[in-house]
Amino acid sequence: MSKFSVPRRSLMLGGAALALAPAAAFATSSPDVGKPAPLFTAVDSNGKSWSLADLKGKVVVIETTNHDCPYVRKHYNATNMQDQQREAAAKGVVWLTTASNAAGEQGAVTPAQANELTKNRDAAPAAVLIDPQSKIARAYGATVTPHMYIIDAKGTLVYKGGIDSIPSSNVADIPKAKQYVRVALDEVLAGKQVAEASTQAYGCTMKYPRTST
Amino acid sequence: MPRFLALLLALLVAGPAFAQSSAQSVVQTDNVRAELLSDIAAAKPGEPFWVGLRQTMRPKWHTYWKNPGESGLPTEIAWALPEGVTAGPIVWPVPHVFDIGGVINYGFKDDILLLVRITPPANLAGDTLKLTADANWLVCEDVCIPEEAKLELVLPLAAAATPSDPKTRALFEAARRNVPMESPWPARYGVSQSGDPTLIVEAKGLKPDTIGNAYFFPAEWGHVAAMAKQTASITAEGIRIPLRKGDAKTPMPAALAGTLVLTEKTADGTVKQAFDVAAKLDPTFVLQAMTLAAVGSEQLTLVQALLFALLGGLILNLMPCVFPVLAMKAAAFARLAGHERREMRRDGLAYTAGVLVSFGAMAAVVVAIRASVGDVTWGFQFQSPVFSLLIAYLFFVVGLNLSGVFEFGNRLAGVGQGLAARGGTTGSFFTGVLAVIVATPCTAPFMAAALGFALSQPAPATVAVLLAMGLGLALPYLALSMTPALQRLMPRPGPWMDRLRQFLAFPMYASAVWMIWVLTQQTGSDGVLYALGGMILIAFAIWLLRIGSGSSPAIWLRRGVAAAAVLLAFAAALKIDDSPATAASASGTPVSGVNFDGWERFSRARMTEAHAAGKPVFVDFTAAWCITCLVNERVALETAATKKAFEQAGVVKLKGDWTNRDAEITAVLKELGRAGVPLYLFWAPEANQPKILPQVLTEATILSELSSIQPAKR
Repeated sequence: MSKFSVPRRSLMLGGAALALAPAAAFATSSPDVGKPAPLFTAVDSNGKSWSLADLKGKVVVIETTNHDCPYVRKHYNATNMQDQQREAAAKGVVWLTTASNAAGEQGAVTPAQANELTKNRDAAPAAVLIDPQSKIARAYGATVTPHMYIIDAKGTLVYKGGIDSIPSSNVADIPKAKQYVRVALDEVLAGKQVAEASTQAYGCTMKYPRTST
Repeated sequence: MPRFLALLLALLVAGPAFAQSSAQSVVQTDNVRAELLSDIAAAKPGEPFWVGLRQTMRPKWHTYWKNPGESGLPTEIAWALPEGVTAGPIVWPVPHVFDIGGVINYGFKDDILLLVRITPPANLAGDTLKLTADANWLVCEDVCIPEEAKLELVLPLAAAATPSDPKTRALFEAARRNVPMESPWPARYGVSQSGDPTLIVEAKGLKPDTIGNAYFFPAEWGHVAAMAKQTASITAEGIRIPLRKGDAKTPMPAALAGTLVLTEKTADGTVKQAFDVAAKLDPTFVLQAMTLAAVGSEQLTLVQALLFALLGGLILNLMPCVFPVLAMKAAAFARLAGHERREMRRDGLAYTAGVLVSFGAMAAVVVAIRASVGDVTWGFQFQSPVFSLLIAYLFFVVGLNLSGVFEFGNRLAGVGQGLAARGGTTGSFFTGVLAVIVATPCTAPFMAAALGFALSQPAPATVAVLLAMGLGLALPYLALSMTPALQRLMPRPGPWMDRLRQFLAFPMYASAVWMIWVLTQQTGSDGVLYALGGMILIAFAIWLLRIGSGSSPAIWLRRGVAAAAVLLAFAAALKIDDSPATAASASGTPVSGVNFDGWERFSRARMTEAHAAGKPVFVDFTAAWCITCLVNERVALETAATKKAFEQAGVVKLKGDWTNRDAEITAVLKELGRAGVPLYLFWAPEANQPKILPQVLTEATILSELSSIQPAKR
């Protein structure tokens, strides 16, 4: 059957048949940049409800977090994350930190713990969303903490990926790295296209609820 | 606190290890015991050697490959080396897929050796060579912990390099075996409209039923998403793996690099083989893939799958093989024209039933195979030379009938076709069966893929999809027989019908020619001889039976001769079945790629003779479709060192090509209790029986076998 050359038409047919094979379903399927950002509603550590739909007209940053993750700690210990949160707030950007690791897993927090962490780390997000069922992370296809997203005023996802360009747990690398989120935010606020709109995120693996897989 | 306990525990476990090895070359972190090893005990300036970072992980923890997947980070080594000494990049072993709660990672577990090639300069001074490695890695179970280790290895310098201890050498040997080899096949990839790439590895001539699994690990983050599962298929073009586009926004690269891991089922179980692939971007492939883009990226529901199956069945009507059958059917239909509508409707329904029953039977076979074999992932083989030959005969006989050489009603016509010719409902039913039978060989690649899908579904869905396809095939005729408006478009019966019938013989002959061509692709040029000879015999038999009505004994004589001729024609099928491997190579197809350079063709006589002459004999039973055989040749049998050792030991090298199931080789395999290849035999000069070598060979295995006989020879 070696060189059994197949007529072009049947090749196409073969393709059509292959199309029958469903792409495997993924627990995490990430939305594309340039597309509408997935909507969500969540309650923050102070009991306030946040809905992405209500934030139209504002630029929004989403930061997945797990306070015990060495990569998250890297950026908080160096105050890189807090600095960027403050810069963003000064520019009218809504920075949402989401504790999306599943209940019972490392990084899952109660509202009180979240507030404690914000205070201890001197963090300045607009809110810390409590997401024990990983709904936000799943909607955005987050795979690590920190995984960063920027949504423009029209509700379009304009950036997804890492916080910066050097994937390491070493604090000393931060000044050397390109701060992707800061650069992208400046571009978005200047009305420009984000040049590097999708980068490789690095960090600790997201902990999704076990029952869902 | 729990981490502290874990550390304590790890330290306790690792305690003895600390005592044994030099503290500098071993570092125990919370989750990993890291050790720097070398395959030499003393280094020679100017001579490259290998070192390895060995990571022994806590159970369930893993470190990462060069492309870590959806999360994770690869292990990194920063070297501090004396002036002039260089270290190569990490040579990565074959990775595994880890599914961490839906996040897909590529990495390693348990125990892994990451190889690095070190080259000391020829002018290296001093007594020792000190290698310092700053290694860091991310190790994850549920939680992820970045770890690092400063490792040091001091090697004495000597005039000649000395190998390290056997245990360490064995570790390196195993590690090298676990590194992917260059792909022996070219590869290309195309991109669909949705941006999803599809990889084609042009490994032609593979047998779908021997490949258990195929997975492509993209070498880099970005262009291909890390996937939990890939639905690969083995087609006439090779291995086809539809992939999902990654998150990078940069244009697809000219060459898509990655590691292809295949699981091959051999006689002794399954063997995993890994190849480094660099697939070239093939823009022409885009066009073909575009038609499927819309659906390829979406998850199909069963309803959608059924719709596509129906569509696929409809398109089957355009296949060259089915066309003559449909033409026959159209002629029959024209004859029916003017009959009662009820009769036509019954006719259409009977035809549809014939098609559906055939597809139902096929579905039953698929389900039964799955039930009995269990892990069938691919469509089974439709392509057998015997099948091609019989179909060619069938086309030929139907052609003769259409030409008017003989009329149906004779007992000599083939069963299905004879039944098909029966008037009325039964005839229509079997025309449907015939349509499915003749459609099958034309559409093998298509059917294989469709069955591949069907196999992955639960049994009811399998049956439903295949039935939908059958319905599609029957639909045009069914619609015609059901719709008076369409029927009115058909011309009235008349003398044109005879002419049409005679004309239709020619597409039939053409189909027969095509089937013979297919046959030659399978068996080589000998196939033509058997097929055409068989056709003459069949035509002769028909002629014999057509001669007037003589006395009874003469008729019986003729019938006897005719039967003998037909039997002879069918005997050709058997002959073709076990035609030797040489037939395939003789046809000049580049694909039957068993390479005989430096090897003699195996025969039992040659083996016995060489052994009797007191020579060492090595026998390699191989096949073009056996990937493990191919890998063994590359890594163990055809390396410079092995070739030289074979030559020095005066080994008679015999190769048996089992690509087409050579009877003599089959007998030898059976005697040795083997069901298939690879099989390697080594006859030491005085041995009473051959030693069977493992089916996964290394250079070291061969060299040690050869060295064991050398003293005896000298």
